[in-house]
Amino acid sequence: MRFTLNGTAADIPAVFADDRLLWLLRDHFALNGPKYGCGVGTCGACVVHVDGRPERACLLPASEVAGKAVTTIEGLGIGWPEGLHPIQKAWIESGVPQCGYCQSGQVMTAAGLLAENPQAGAEEIAATMDGVICRCGTYVRIRGAIDAAREALRGRS
Amino acid sequence: MAISRRAMLRRLAWAGAGLTVVAGTTYAYALFPALPHRGAPRLQEAAAWLRLTPEGRIQLALPRTEMGQGIAIALRQIVAEETGFPLDRIDAIQPRTDLIPATRATVGSDSIKDYGPLLARAAAALARTLSKEGSVEGAPPRDGWARLATRPRLVEADNMAGVRGRSFDRRVPKRAVGMPVVTDDVRAIVTGSAPLFADDVRLPDMAHGAALPPPRIGAALEAVDDIAARDVDGYLGLWRNGHGTFVAAETRGALERSLAAMQPTWTGGAATLEHIEEAIDIDSGLARGALEHEPLNAAIDDSRPFDLDLRLDVPMAAHAAMEPQTAVARFTDGKLEVWTGTQDVTFVRSVLSDELSLSPNDIVVYGCRVGGGFGLKTICTVELEAAVLSRSLGRPAKVQWTRLDAFRRSFHRPPSSHRIRARISPDGRIDTWHHAYRSGHVIFTSAAMGPALQWATSFVGDPGVLRGAIPPYDALTTRVEYEDVRLPVHTGPWRGLGAAPNVWAIETAIDQLARRRGDDPLAFRKRNIKSEWPRLARALDRVAAISNWGALRSTAYRGYGLACGIYKEMSYAAVVAEVVRDGAGYRVTRLWCAHDCGFIVNPDQVHAQVEGNLVWCIGMALTESLGISDGHVSATSFADYAVARFSDVPPMTVDLIDEGEPASGAGETAIVAGTAAITNAISAMAGRPVTRIPLAATMA
Repeated sequence: MRFTLNGTAADIPAVFADDRLLWLLRDHFALNGPKYGCGVGTCGACVVHVDGRPERACLLPASEVAGKAVTTIEGLGIGWPEGLHPIQKAWIESGVPQCGYCQSGQVMTAAGLLAENPQAGAEEIAATMDGVICRCGTYVRIRGAIDAAREALRGRS
Repeated sequence: MAISRRAMLRRLAWAGAGLTVVAGTTYAYALFPALPHRGAPRLQEAAAWLRLTPEGRIQLALPRTEMGQGIAIALRQIVAEETGFPLDRIDAIQPRTDLIPATRATVGSDSIKDYGPLLARAAAALARTLSKEGSVEGAPPRDGWARLATRPRLVEADNMAGVRGRSFDRRVPKRAVGMPVVTDDVRAIVTGSAPLFADDVRLPDMAHGAALPPPRIGAALEAVDDIAARDVDGYLGLWRNGHGTFVAAETRGALERSLAAMQPTWTGGAATLEHIEEAIDIDSGLARGALEHEPLNAAIDDSRPFDLDLRLDVPMAAHAAMEPQTAVARFTDGKLEVWTGTQDVTFVRSVLSDELSLSPNDIVVYGCRVGGGFGLKTICTVELEAAVLSRSLGRPAKVQWTRLDAFRRSFHRPPSSHRIRARISPDGRIDTWHHAYRSGHVIFTSAAMGPALQWATSFVGDPGVLRGAIPPYDALTTRVEYEDVRLPVHTGPWRGLGAAPNVWAIETAIDQLARRRGDDPLAFRKRNIKSEWPRLARALDRVAAISNWGALRSTAYRGYGLACGIYKEMSYAAVVAEVVRDGAGYRVTRLWCAHDCGFIVNPDQVHAQVEGNLVWCIGMALTESLGISDGHVSATSFADYAVARFSDVPPMTVDLIDEGEPASGAGETAIVAGTAAITNAISAMAGRPVTRIPLAATMA
């Protein structure tokens, strides 16, 4: 089984095919971005993009991404200045993270939303971001960073 | 009792370990005789925190764990301030037992207060040595860095003796301290570019394992049949020993399938919520007479009526750190290495040494960035599991608790029940204050100590339960009494320890006293605050100013609430909350906070701590409650344990007060004021007090 991981063709070894996509990414490909937070899709720490759409890597069997393109936070900045997607840049400039464990899921969820709707309003942002939990409570800064990234993206288009 | 408590403790040789210190800062872990020095850090220890590399960089071996509170960047700023090195040439290394002397747990919001000035002196001594060697302000000496880097004793306790450093000297203009720099490793966090957490540690030939989780609290494993698991590809086996029953597999997928195929038989264990509620019920406790511990023991005249008589209830709550407990262990030639996200590498090493009969010198604990601590990651659990499994397997092993494990096997904030009775004089001053409460343990918890220590500590009050219970308000007669109750569930330190529930109870009662008199809650508080707490009064003034308190009017649909509090007699917060009705519930729509932790090393990180604490307050007030059903904690995921989410969090205005006082702490300060500000806003709307949190449980 083949798929594309962060822009590069890759194999899904048989031993991982029936596992959660999250284990394939973390344990076979040694990616640090997507995290285990709950294993049942309730926290969002594991969110990655599958064919451009945010998905929970803890719920998706690895075999499901055969033939598809998976992007983790490691690949999000490919092609952007300094290797940073505007969302990542905004996250750094706003000093969003505290412990940092959930932030890959936050960033990937926000990036997926703005890719789908660059004009997303406050309600749509809230409805989407409510699916990703930050126990440190960085939400005020997450809101600010998404607004900043939206403006940056608008400036580009 | 024939001998006094103090004599008993002395006989047990623990008195010197601080057990008799009831008010404040003692931690259970300091009680273990096996532990080396665990008091305040000393000069000679500080010398070991700093090194120079041949590339001309300074390595700061952190004595405190970075877990999101920003301590790594703050301590780097201090080193930059003292040495003139730019921040990007100062590298912080998470606590490691092979690099630093024994250090205390990263708890209690005391890192800047207790470690900052010492680090400043060590860094200033380093700068002095460097300057003597021809390196000024980070510039290389004429012959390069290599010779200097290999020179031992660049920092010594004796050359620190006369050095104070400039970091905390308000008269010196600053170049690094006081700057709002974002947290360490932020780029790695948002790009995944470097391993930071324990789960990012991957060793060659590493297996994955788990302890077989009991289905009920206190259940014992009778037998287990792994016949079905033997058909799972990658299943490595089952080990039963004195530390538990462990399952291992080649991959995490195989581990999950193996665990699902196990057929265990368990016996015993039957914690019920009724038992717990009964055990901490304050009124049945008071009916039996005075409670066990009386930190303020004035007699209360029961013959006169009280102006206020409130029963207040706080449930169990989870830490719910996003990173579940995770550790990796490896044995090489009888020596053990452990990688873990812990608040206390020294304690982990000590427990591993005791449990595995290894010399501490044969154990290295590498602290990783902690994915949320909040008091949870202060004991040794998953680390021992990984070590035992690794020894059984003869291979490196990783153990990561599932979210279910994290709910069911962790300790939690204990539930408590409170009764506060008070009288007011005609002049609006508090005449009588009586606060009685019962709570599960916070520090003398069964999660942290065996039966013998539990027995010994039953003679003294749990200082974690006491925290925050002494009111900052004056009264002619004040009585505070409490009982720490051993519960059949594991309880322990949760952000703010007892201060979170205790100050919520106090500030609820104070607000009711004011409102029942028709007094302004601000004026009432200021009139009654003891003269020894002018900084609390100042915080109230400041929050009143930024929220325009005088102009805020509560209606039946929009309420404004005020509360304030002191954390560990060192930091101060006052909060105003605006809450509106939202369907069947409530929504917090604005928060204002004045926060005083004295001297600020990094205002951005202090601000972030205030934000985070206020978010916790929203959850504590409105949604967070951990129930018990079928003999265990009923929550299984974030679907049934509701922490605050993005849309629960309103805009916040934070005023950081830094006007001449020395540095204290910010990690748990605002939590003492925010929860009551929110519930007081709801009380103002509803016209009756909120006496049970969270609100969601009341409405259900």
